[in-house]
Amino acid sequence: MTRTIVKQLTKGVLLAILLAFGACNNILELTPDSELTEANFFKTAADMDGAVLGIYSNYQSRFPRDWTISEMLSDNTYRTGYFNIGGIDELNNLSITSENPLFASFWQSAYQGIFRANSVIFYIDNPTDYAENQQAQLTGEALFMRSLLYFNLVRVFGGVPLVTSKLTVEETYGVPRSSEPQVYQQITEDLKQAIDLLPMKAAIAGGRASKEAAVSLLAKVYVYLKEWDEAKTYLDMVEGFNFQLEPEFKSLWSISSENNEEVIFAMKYLDGENGQPLSTDFLPYFGVTGISSRGNENIFPTWSLYKLYDDGDSRKDETITPYWKSPNSPPADPAVWYPFVSKFAVQHTPNSSGLDLPVLRYADMVLLKAEVLYYLSQPDLALVELNRVRERAFGNEGHHYTSADIASEAAFLDKLLLERRLEFAFENERWFDLVRTGRYMTELKSVERYYNPSDGSVQTVQLNPQEHHRYMPIPRSQIDLVGPDVLQQNEGYN
Amino acid sequence: MRKAHYFLLLANLTAYSALALDDPIRTSRADNQVVKIENGSQQTVSGTVRDDTGTALEGVSVTVKRTGSGVATDAAGKFALEGVEPTDALVFRSIGYQDLEVEVAGKTTVDAVMEADVAGLDEVVVVGYGTQRKSSVTAAISKVENKNLDQIPVGRPELALVGRLAGVNISNTRSNPGSAPTIRVRGSGSISASNDPLVVIDGFPGGSMSSVNMNDVASIEVLKDASSAAIYGSRGSGGVIIITTKKGTVGKPQLQLNAYAGVAEALGHDDWISGDEFHDYVARYMNREYAWQGGDVSIPLWGDDRRPPNFRVNPVIREGNYIWEDILLRPAPMQNYSLSVRGGTDNVTYYVSGTYRDEQGTLLTTGYKTYAFRANVDAKLAPGINVGIMVSPNWADRRTSPVTMEAIVKTSPFVSPEPYPDGTYPRPLDYWGNSVSGQTSPLATLYGTFNTSSSMNNVGEMYAEAQLGKGLSIRSSFGANITYGIAENFQSASATSNGLNSGSARDTRSLNLLNENVLRYTNDFGGDHDFNAILGASFQKATSRTALQTAVAGSFNNETIRTLNNAIIDPSRSYTTKSRWGLISYFGRVNYAYKGKYLVSASFRTDGSSRFGPDNRWGNFPSASIAWRVSQEDFMQGNTVISELKPRVSYGVVGNFNIGDFSYLGTIDDVYYSPDDALTKGWAQNAIGNGGLQWERTESYNIGLDLGLFNNRLTMAADYYQKKTTNLLYDVSVPAISGFPAALVNVGDVRNTGFEVELNSQNLTGVFKWSTAFNFSRNKNEVVDLGGVDEVINTHTRGMAWILRKGEPMFSFYGYKLAGVLVDENDVANSPIMDGSKPGNTKYADVSGPDGVPDGKITPDDRVILGSYLPTMTFGMVNDFSWKNFDLSIAMQSSVGAKVYNLENLYYQGATVSAIRRSLVENQWWSTAEPGNGKEPATALSQLAWVSNSDYYLEDASFLAIRNLNLGYTVPQSFSERYKINSFRLFASISNLLMITKKGFHGYNPEGFTSGEIDGIKSMPGFNNGSEPINRVYTFGVNVIF
Repeated sequence: MTRTIVKQLTKGVLLAILLAFGACNNILELTPDSELTEANFFKTAADMDGAVLGIYSNYQSRFPRDWTISEMLSDNTYRTGYFNIGGIDELNNLSITSENPLFASFWQSAYQGIFRANSVIFYIDNPTDYAENQQAQLTGEALFMRSLLYFNLVRVFGGVPLVTSKLTVEETYGVPRSSEPQVYQQITEDLKQAIDLLPMKAAIAGGRASKEAAVSLLAKVYVYLKEWDEAKTYLDMVEGFNFQLEPEFKSLWSISSENNEEVIFAMKYLDGENGQPLSTDFLPYFGVTGISSRGNENIFPTWSLYKLYDDGDSRKDETITPYWKSPNSPPADPAVWYPFVSKFAVQHTPNSSGLDLPVLRYADMVLLKAEVLYYLSQPDLALVELNRVRERAFGNEGHHYTSADIASEAAFLDKLLLERRLEFAFENERWFDLVRTGRYMTELKSVERYYNPSDGSVQTVQLNPQEHHRYMPIPRSQIDLVGPDVLQQNEGYN
Repeated sequence: MRKAHYFLLLANLTAYSALALDDPIRTSRADNQVVKIENGSQQTVSGTVRDDTGTALEGVSVTVKRTGSGVATDAAGKFALEGVEPTDALVFRSIGYQDLEVEVAGKTTVDAVMEADVAGLDEVVVVGYGTQRKSSVTAAISKVENKNLDQIPVGRPELALVGRLAGVNISNTRSNPGSAPTIRVRGSGSISASNDPLVVIDGFPGGSMSSVNMNDVASIEVLKDASSAAIYGSRGSGGVIIITTKKGTVGKPQLQLNAYAGVAEALGHDDWISGDEFHDYVARYMNREYAWQGGDVSIPLWGDDRRPPNFRVNPVIREGNYIWEDILLRPAPMQNYSLSVRGGTDNVTYYVSGTYRDEQGTLLTTGYKTYAFRANVDAKLAPGINVGIMVSPNWADRRTSPVTMEAIVKTSPFVSPEPYPDGTYPRPLDYWGNSVSGQTSPLATLYGTFNTSSSMNNVGEMYAEAQLGKGLSIRSSFGANITYGIAENFQSASATSNGLNSGSARDTRSLNLLNENVLRYTNDFGGDHDFNAILGASFQKATSRTALQTAVAGSFNNETIRTLNNAIIDPSRSYTTKSRWGLISYFGRVNYAYKGKYLVSASFRTDGSSRFGPDNRWGNFPSASIAWRVSQEDFMQGNTVISELKPRVSYGVVGNFNIGDFSYLGTIDDVYYSPDDALTKGWAQNAIGNGGLQWERTESYNIGLDLGLFNNRLTMAADYYQKKTTNLLYDVSVPAISGFPAALVNVGDVRNTGFEVELNSQNLTGVFKWSTAFNFSRNKNEVVDLGGVDEVINTHTRGMAWILRKGEPMFSFYGYKLAGVLVDENDVANSPIMDGSKPGNTKYADVSGPDGVPDGKITPDDRVILGSYLPTMTFGMVNDFSWKNFDLSIAMQSSVGAKVYNLENLYYQGATVSAIRRSLVENQWWSTAEPGNGKEPATALSQLAWVSNSDYYLEDASFLAIRNLNLGYTVPQSFSERYKINSFRLFASISNLLMITKKGFHGYNPEGFTSGEIDGIKSMPGFNNGSEPINRVYTFGVNVIF
């Protein structure tokens, strides 16, 4: 009896061991249930489409915070006591170091986007189930986004490492910076290719790249390169696309009219679900009635900027709101002088606003064209373009510039930069405009920040812009990883 | 894999050959035999066995010397032995007591009193896959027996062990109800893989200590060195904690009740200010700010338009005297009832228990409730065949605060806690629409937020054990750990600052299956040799699933129904995910002792894990240890001083596989974009694949000495160890042009070196007894290699950094050294300063410059290592006293050298007109006229960057605590027996009776920090922003045995 039990039991145990052993592969050879991997992705047209959306997603999350570099360096903003983004104060005071975390995250994010674009281009031939023209479209989108990302990088840092294929981790330790012209060369080549591959805006979902977007970006790139003839060629192509200036400046900054004829390429957002923080970033900490229950109060607009807006300029109140009353404060409390940037202030969920943010809009093309025409010695035509934007802002022709206003190149640049500043305040244009025209060395010497209306006093800060500020420093952490002989620092920084 | 096959084949062959033996089944003589009544001269003898304090002793073996037959005493110390001759002698034996022989001398009742054997060296220690006598242990193992541990009023069993084990640091970084403490055995060695020890509950590896009820625990062993932990191979690098629960014993059912109830009181701060004092500090704060902006501070604080609104001070803040800490913290009741029954026959023994405990948090609305059951049943199926089953279902309900402490205790003193007639609570903004914090009332937040979680957990196991031959047995077990968790959150509109209600529900479940088969062989080869060996195979597979549903913010139709059927589900935040891992292991160990003097042990384990790529799946983990019991040598006999002397040396390798289930693959994650304003899912690779990923290896040496003096009245175990973790699983930074910030690789080494001592002393052994258990540990953590870089710095937004630097402890604080405050313009002009400094800002120490020498400027070159969150030394001491029926136990703990970055202090220094603590503002710089003590810089929110990047907020977290005091009184037996009660003990206990911290420490809890422990390269251990106060808990209770 006992022996039988023992035998049976022992057999049972051994059987169990063998079963478990047989299940060996079941135990060790596992594939993820809920995660895709490099091995099983990039197989179908749908995969590739999703991968392209991944590039936009990268840009969509970085873009709303580009102001931390491009606006903080400018004379449009100064930081508040509530600011909660490390590094912006230093940029605002032009104490620029390679350890500033903003450069590291900007660099990181841009190359993440470039990696995603390169992955799409690398695997684009894998799927066999593309719809007609789909492969061309996806390739064009990837090329366009890669150009846009390199354009962002080259404007900030000058020449950067040029990565156009999938690299192994080992390979990434040996890629030096390309020269600025080499990067621009890549950008223009990619964009020309993208123009051929991309469909027209009407044939692709809003928020994705189109032929129009590629043409416009290329035109802008040529303006940065001061290749006026090339720029004009593409700006003329833009004219053929039927874009127009919105009749009302404020309808550009409203969710209900965000899909309008002025937008060439915008990042799309959905309130609460896929929103941006920019609408919240500039609001007073306690929020604004009807807009948001709270704000991030990172920056205030400078008095230098605010005082430039003429009364009657519709951009004035749309860009800056001067008086503010804390929501739900005791009713008797009056509104106080508290100028804040309200350009992106639509009603929204804090830090997740649904307002789309234009990356390229037609007004930019108009002013770029003014610039191009001026440098192609057609100042009268340039004046026409300049005044188109001015007319939209004032709603009438009463504030037009005249030939006398642009009598010299310096005078023209004054007016052009003023108009660009008023039009694109907080849209990440100001710093780059100052740099490409060389004006940053003079314009930034002194900035008026806070204005006290009760006694008319103005708080002015003196800054010390340096020649080498034309380029921002390569993030220190990146140089440390690969060594200064591979990744050279820009002059003036260490 | 081939190697593994071979190993298994060997195990099978051994088992088969055992079966083939003709008559392999022999009943061991050790088996209990029922003593038969044979003739009139034999009789039944019964009695009670007690210790010299009168406490009944359970489990004492009582044998008839002549026949060797015997029984064990029950929980009341009673025994009954049949077939005893009047001339027989009875032998009483029990671990921890001296053997006792008593002549029956014709009596039928023989009571015995056993003397404690202070030697204690022959207690049994549980090791991985077996037990060993303490005297033959060759490794570093600490053991705690559950004497009064189940009376310590703590929610989780780990906390009862605080300060009781050398080299085991248990720290309660968060003290909200039910939160898990951090346990580190001999320091941390890993950056990105977990440093948690492996918890083995009754042989099941990978359990959670939260699922164990201390009342059921018999003992807890900690395998500290790699030679003992190596038998758990790939999971032993954080040390191994073995929990052994109580088993049934032969005898009639014994009912035991352990009940206590009490009240917890939070240990808060005593320096909050209000009224005029509060107003005046706010005024200083605003004026300071205004002066920096170039304002004229002589302009009246209120009612003058010349003063910009941001710098005004509303006189309304003088009103009210509400100290929110007092409003939010309450005396919280707690109660605990445990009932257990154990008993059995010769063939079946059982232990069953149930526990209910209810602990309210000292913070309003929080609490923790558990219901736990356990059944351990063992049965003898036939001679030589044992089977058993164990189940331990438990359920826990927990409600936690949605916010950390600093966010609510900082509520301004002018804000009333009284609700308005409509039931809503006043907010700071209702009093003054500017400058104040935008928060809602903490009462609205706490009462309006329902963050509840429930978890069910069951570790269950079945086993069968068969004797295959002389000394050869096989044990096979199937176990399962089933967990089910629900976390439901609901926040009403009034509790939020955005006025939108929200809700979510998360369900998690996991099933962890285990099959283990162990062949065991023991032989003494006729005397001088003592040999035992095991050979085993283990198969483990875990699956888990998580489901989350989230409501669209503000979509609850009403707030009466708080489940999600009352809301609209947000598709982008609702999902299910699954994951899996598997582990196959083969292991073996031999222990050999010659004449009980020369001890050798060696083990080997090989593990295959699904978490690594196919080429790197298998890892080998060998170990060896030797010990020499010098005290057993002839030349030591007769030595009256040294009763035990045993040097030990061990070496072993353990591993760490605590990374993500599929970290070796380049995974693709979902991301979102909204083309045409339609939320659409896209895909992006979120990690670089690394097929070469493999085990993190920890190699360690241990040199130890066990010493017993004066017949072991004083015993000591001292250990020196060096533990080096190599092939660190670590998210190393890679060039960003790869598309990723970091990649998980095996690179880098970390070393922990330490020394620890455990001392046990029977100071007094008479009627008044006093014993002391003392332990001391010192651990030095050091980064040895980081794979190509010398340091990795992670800087927090506020400027403090955590650094990994060769030669320094992992994640040391790194920043500027505070030298004082720049008191005026003159000071600014004449001191080394950071660009832009002004009076009131920090005066930093100029320690270096670009050329490595002070350069008169403060630049990043001046950043230095400022300390570490790790203590350099820890002490624990437990004193037990007893006198007649009274007993007293005092447990103390001390930690020296740890630092905490108490960034939370900034909230109590005037920012956003929030509550102010006097000790944090009275000495600070307010103006050149009010420069304070010259050491404390201005801590305005706008100037935070000038302060928080220095060691100003870094505080010495050394402490000395009386963790528990337990006073008991055992009702005299003569009295209790009248009520059929075998033993009745009353006790009173106070936890955290005393907590002494250094002056200048401002946090609630010196062990408290909120950033979590080391978990990847971005870790910020020791960062505190709102850790909860610790509680002093007063309890009264009874232990009754029926």
